[in-house]
Amino acid sequence: MSDAGLRETVRALIEDEARLLDDQDFEAWLALFTADCRYWVPVSREQATPGDGVAHFNDDKQLMAARAHRLLNPRAFGAEPSPRTAHVVSGVRIDAVDDDGTVHASSSQIILEYRRRDRFEEDSRVFGGRVRHVLRATGGGLRIAVKRVDLVNAEGSMNALAAPF
Amino acid sequence: MVGGMATLLNSPPTFDPAALVRPGLVHRSVYTDAEIFRLEMERIFSRAWIYLAHESEMPAAGDYVRRHLGTQQVILTRDRDGAVHAIPNRCSHRGATLCAFDRGSAPGGHSCPYHGWNFAADGRLRGVPQRSNYEGVLELGDYDLQPVRVAAYRGFLFGTLDAEAVPLVEFLGHMATSIDDLVDRSPSGEVVCSPHVLRHHYRGNWKLSFENLNDTIHPGFAHSASVVSAKAVAAGLEEGEPLAASLGMMLANGKPIQFFQDLDMVTTPRGHSYIGGHMGANYTADTQSAYAQALIAHHGPDKAARVLGTDRHLMLLYPSSTWHARYQTVRIVRPVRHDLTEIIGYTFRLPGAPEETYRNAVEYCTGANSAASPVIADDLEVYERIMDGNGFDAREWVPLSRGLREDRETVAGFTRSPATSEAFIRNQFAAWADYMGSDA
Repeated sequence: MSDAGLRETVRALIEDEARLLDDQDFEAWLALFTADCRYWVPVSREQATPGDGVAHFNDDKQLMAARAHRLLNPRAFGAEPSPRTAHVVSGVRIDAVDDDGTVHASSSQIILEYRRRDRFEEDSRVFGGRVRHVLRATGGGLRIAVKRVDLVNAEGSMNALAAPF
Repeated sequence: MVGGMATLLNSPPTFDPAALVRPGLVHRSVYTDAEIFRLEMERIFSRAWIYLAHESEMPAAGDYVRRHLGTQQVILTRDRDGAVHAIPNRCSHRGATLCAFDRGSAPGGHSCPYHGWNFAADGRLRGVPQRSNYEGVLELGDYDLQPVRVAAYRGFLFGTLDAEAVPLVEFLGHMATSIDDLVDRSPSGEVVCSPHVLRHHYRGNWKLSFENLNDTIHPGFAHSASVVSAKAVAAGLEEGEPLAASLGMMLANGKPIQFFQDLDMVTTPRGHSYIGGHMGANYTADTQSAYAQALIAHHGPDKAARVLGTDRHLMLLYPSSTWHARYQTVRIVRPVRHDLTEIIGYTFRLPGAPEETYRNAVEYCTGANSAASPVIADDLEVYERIMDGNGFDAREWVPLSRGLREDRETVAGFTRSPATSEAFIRNQFAAWADYMGSDA
């Protein structure tokens, strides 16, 4: 694939992923990830690996599936009504391609989140930062092996987070 | 009427806060009233020993951390002789805070950004620029920052604003054994605080968190949705595919209530408590054996067996912190306003232990302290609903009488109750009324 073609494929994948989250189509969202994937939102840009320390999210696919199940479960009062999100994806870049075809990509993302709790302007929140994807070539095309979200306020204090970024 | 106004501002409160606590009942205003919160800062958070930091967070001379005693900011700095001092984070000139970072190094002392007044680790005012302007007017010694009383227990540093406070070990009492439990788990005798810290907050009173953590009845209800989700995922696993530890933690909340009824809850004077049984994942066999060998080498077989056999869930050290020795996690409960609380989670490495022990600590703290944890998100939602609901309706008294007649035993220094009891909340309010009831 040409450089431009690969970039276009990767950009489409990252945008599709964000769109599936906004559409709350979690089943299709999970299907974009490899079985051994990691969804990781560290508390610091200094963290090199999830083993370095605590994180906001440090999910394997099972935990991602449990979150997805919960977001669709009306008994999960802590996530009901489910938050609605709008992802803005920009500046998709390919940072490196390994010999085996694994792609390291990054993008800038802003996530607007709304959950109606009758707290007026506090019901809307804005998150954002650098998102890194490690995409592995599989028989079914590129799949997400790692999604790392470095929030601009990674070290900050968070109130309840129900929706993945 | 100017005189009248001054009298009003200085007059003591016309109510007795201790009267807000009755046997098995508490008045809802203890959660919702900003004036009561102000009194708590004065009478509880200025008197109790408050957990601040661990020695390992300031390894070198000049290293500092910024922490809170209630709503007051303090800076803890290690001096050239190795001693740690705490001083108010407030310039004695115009009152600006000196230090804007949670941690750092200030080998040259703390300088005010406004006019450059410079303070030593112990609060001594070392220098004032343009000193000639103050010639015969201002004595530097009069503007030293007053050090905050600090004491350490096995490397954990506590502070109090009360010069009359009982010694730290007396304040800790039997709960010192839970701190021992954490430190004794290290095969080198050292524990090292990780620089990676997990913070969350909620729009609710600080006490709600203390009253939730050892409440073993709420998980079956408040966290039932995450149990359902974890079960749904577990049911879909392939043959032989292991369940993730994080899901195991979620499933633990689905244990039958009898399990908790059979466990002990221990309450001690000054509002502290813990419950037996860590309810979590066991180490893998390899870790267990390597870790046990390392502990035996350090402690000898008898003590090592005792350390590994100790099984406690959260220890609540009222009013500042919650401790999980088995997972090397300490959380600071930081009251910000009557309706705003921050929880700050710290994890500790045990040098000499297999890496898996730290991984378990990280996994536990992430599951128990991330705002994104499905379990925590449910708790935060409940705290905020409690704040909402206690703001209206005629019913003013909150019952805290679960298990009131079920205490099992009271011996010197502590009481045992079933872990399903609200005894730990009643115990917290007994301490609360003690602190709040006197203005001396």
